[in-house]
Amino acid sequence: MNEPILKTENLTHVYSPGTPFELTALRNVNLEIRKGEILGIIGHTGSGKSTLIQHLNALIKPTSGRVLLDGQDINASKSSIRLVRSRVGLVFQYPEYQLFEETVYKDIAFGPKNMKLDAAEIDRRVRDAARFTGVEEELLDRAPFDLSGGQKRRVAIAGVIAMMPEVLVLDEPMAGLDPSGRTEIMENILTYHRETGAAIVIVTHSMEEAARHADRMVVLNHGEIAMEGAPAEIFTHGDELRRMGLDTPVMTDVADRLRALGVNIQGSVYTVEQMVSALMELEGGGRRA
Amino acid sequence: MLKDVTLGQYFPGDTVVHSLDPRTKILMVILYIAALFTAKSWLGYALCLVFLASAVAVSKIRLSAMLKGLKPVVFVVILTSVLNLFYGAGEPIFQWWIFKISREGIKAAVLMGSRIIMLVMGTFMLTYTTSPIMLTYGLELLLGPLKKLKVPVHELAMMMSMALRLIPTLIEETDKIMSAQKARGAEFDTGNLIEKAKAMLPILVPLFLSSFRRADELATAMEARCYHGGENRTRLNVLKLAPRDFTTLTVGALLLAASIALARIGL
Repeated sequence: MNEPILKTENLTHVYSPGTPFELTALRNVNLEIRKGEILGIIGHTGSGKSTLIQHLNALIKPTSGRVLLDGQDINASKSSIRLVRSRVGLVFQYPEYQLFEETVYKDIAFGPKNMKLDAAEIDRRVRDAARFTGVEEELLDRAPFDLSGGQKRRVAIAGVIAMMPEVLVLDEPMAGLDPSGRTEIMENILTYHRETGAAIVIVTHSMEEAARHADRMVVLNHGEIAMEGAPAEIFTHGDELRRMGLDTPVMTDVADRLRALGVNIQGSVYTVEQMVSALMELEGGGRRA
Repeated sequence: MLKDVTLGQYFPGDTVVHSLDPRTKILMVILYIAALFTAKSWLGYALCLVFLASAVAVSKIRLSAMLKGLKPVVFVVILTSVLNLFYGAGEPIFQWWIFKISREGIKAAVLMGSRIIMLVMGTFMLTYTTSPIMLTYGLELLLGPLKKLKVPVHELAMMMSMALRLIPTLIEETDKIMSAQKARGAEFDTGNLIEKAKAMLPILVPLFLSSFRRADELATAMEARCYHGGENRTRLNVLKLAPRDFTTLTVGALLLAASIALARIGL
């Protein structure tokens, strides 16, 4: 397995300590993000997902515990914080609401400019980022506010990708988009992953998306890591997931119900393809019990 | 970081102070402030302090929350005290160049400083123990008679409650946008004044846009539910003054009366 690039050690975060609003959002979280992997973080609303990812580039400081980038504490100094912000890119929920510049080009250039790169390098990165996210050349001179919702979302993601992060963290990147918009955004992210080898962390509560693309998944529940492993392992615990208020992929549900009816479905099933092959095996091998 | 702003924050609880009618609490604050401003002597201040302290004790609001809220007025308190220190009449007990400090000056400085602190703390007692909704409802009822003078009391109260309701939302939104821009390497605390002002742009533009969008959506949602101003609107929970409200108001009136009496006889 690849070596870890970003790690949290006993990460705990408490909001408003010492007031009636005190809330422990994370408790002893030990998370590992490995080089070049796609990690899915899932959990229901309020499970601590958003708090966790904001620790990954030092936007919030841990109450206790550490976050390590290549073994170095990211909260150690001002320069280490600046470094982690450019190496770990964070795309928030509904990132299109953070667009502010007059043109798409300038908005995408905001990140690289803050990294104090030279003009030629900024230009190269803006065009690369636009290409990764499918933002057409002619859109670059338009005002971001004239674009459609899906286009705005892609521009906003390009704004983070332009910093060329080695870890790209996205919080619900497909929320509120129509199915074709969702597929496109996912394709954009995967293109960036393939061409740069960056690690991708996708936070979602949609199991289907996590299952389809993630190499590894982490399930958060009440601020703690409840499960961790490959999608195939995770989805063998369908009942537990449902108890945590998470939906399971439709095919996992179908498989579970078939099993309850006495159909002998083998292994972990969470995509249509897996279901088909599991059923094919039934045809070839055994009889219905 | 922005979440630490305590301006107008409400601390839920179920003490007597919390359950008083908001009208009572607003009137009490007015009576208390009047008493505080008529007080001229140590004794008058002590009276107000005893009243404030017992209100704080009964409401179970932590002293730390009270002190934290004082932070923004520290400068005003110090400035007022220092100015009063040098402007006291009477025999100077310390003199240097044009500065002279008299016994009266010291007394005035201490009293004025405590007056501001007690004033702010008194109003905290109102906002800390009354939810914004109750507060505006109370104000609306108290200002009700002004409707006869064609003052749009209900509309003003509605605007106020919406503004109060949106403060935390806006703070949250600002926090979110700041985080998003920081994640793109923006820095808000470096550079000179002009650079700092420029650095606010990536926050202000999205914030304005979302405020307009939010206002639009809210207006639509209100219209969709047939909101058309205050006429014939009824309340789910109608406020009614209880015996304890009259008791409290009597205490308030006595406080003011005592304070005026003390000032009159020159104590």
